[in-house]
Amino acid sequence: MDRQQIEEIIGKYKYPEGKILSILEDIQEVDRYLSKESLKMVSEALNVPLSKLFSIATFYSFFNLKPVGEHIITVCMGTACHVRGSAGLLNNLKNLLKVSENGVTEDGKFFLTTEDKHFSLNTARCFGCCSMAPVVKVDERIYGYVTVNDLPRILKEYGWKEDENR
Amino acid sequence: MNAKEVQVFINGKAYRAREGELLIDVARRNGIFIPSLCYEESLEPYGACRMCIVEIRNKGVKKRTATSCTLHVFDGLSVETDSEEVSRHRKVLLELYLAQAPNSSKLKELALRYGVSKTRFKQNTRYNDPLSNSCVLCGLCVRVCSEVMGAGVIGFIGRGEKTRINTPFFEKSDLCLGCKACAEMCPTGAIKFRDEGNIRIANSWSNTYVELKKCKMCGKYFAPSKLDEKIDSIYYYRDKNNELRDLCPDCRRKVITKRINLITENEVERYAK
Repeated sequence: MDRQQIEEIIGKYKYPEGKILSILEDIQEVDRYLSKESLKMVSEALNVPLSKLFSIATFYSFFNLKPVGEHIITVCMGTACHVRGSAGLLNNLKNLLKVSENGVTEDGKFFLTTEDKHFSLNTARCFGCCSMAPVVKVDERIYGYVTVNDLPRILKEYGWKEDENR
Repeated sequence: MNAKEVQVFINGKAYRAREGELLIDVARRNGIFIPSLCYEESLEPYGACRMCIVEIRNKGVKKRTATSCTLHVFDGLSVETDSEEVSRHRKVLLELYLAQAPNSSKLKELALRYGVSKTRFKQNTRYNDPLSNSCVLCGLCVRVCSEVMGAGVIGFIGRGEKTRINTPFFEKSDLCLGCKACAEMCPTGAIKFRDEGNIRIANSWSNTYVELKKCKMCGKYFAPSKLDEKIDSIYYYRDKNNELRDLCPDCRRKVITKRINLITENEVERYAK
């Protein structure tokens, strides 16, 4: 994101110093993550120390500091989903997307991104739809009663190609 | 400021104070020890460490505890600084702090004062921690850096048990003035600086470094040049030859004394005529 875009976002707010969260959210909506450069530009434009912005960005799990994939897959790890086998779903997704635990960020946030930056795998505690357990969320859509066999079909909707060597 | 004078009772004894003053200030002014980790007069009240709790014992009000660093005094306020309940709370707090910062000798000293020598809780030790497992996250360094020095080099990172304090992105910061205010403030002695030749390195803040200024007379490195640019003194304005700025405090004192002596000698001569 370049300086002009950031200034546009900041210009939307009457008192931008008090709207740091909204500004960061807007940036993340465009970039899907908060880059170091954009944080620095916001810090310069608002005259807010970078350390403060970094504190905010690391405090809220909503913000990503590393580039994420185009489609974000979130597996619910809540109690109901856990009982109905969400751990198996997560392991299967890891295999299907060929991502490993190496992608866990330093702060322990669980966020695995595929090599081609097409998918990101993530976990959440609960979506509030335990009646449909186990639940998997892709972007804004929620899939309920997911079984391991459903996963390739769901992934194909988002442009996942099955590996022929498998 | 014309605040009303009030009377407060600390441990049963009456003391005078201005209305709205913080209780911890009143107590410390009168030599009553209240432990604290996160309180500093020059900063806004914060109330994070909870070590300075006192018991409020006003008649007709239910007994309760409050942190004295956020308690504004009013007329007739009556507190106990070392009641049984308060010291019970402090003991648990100290145990928790010992688990959070097992490596701090200053903290151990304070704990011993309350008879706490070991902790029941799981000790938090990180391998290669830049704050040498001594940080209790009181936030003094973060606050002094932004509120007083206006630099904002460091900040809290993350949240919960993973919270730590460091520079953004764990990178060297070019905003640091090298003033050491953070290290000076730290109640547990966690922050380490090291002077090596003409640079000062902040080991705790991702090895951020600043250059030091050399004294023109004795050749000693005495202050970070960035900090020196920020400082203004009445002596610098009065100084016509503009040489005081480049001298270390010791040499500066010598020069000023010499000048004052010269002036008085001249004056003596003039008056003698």
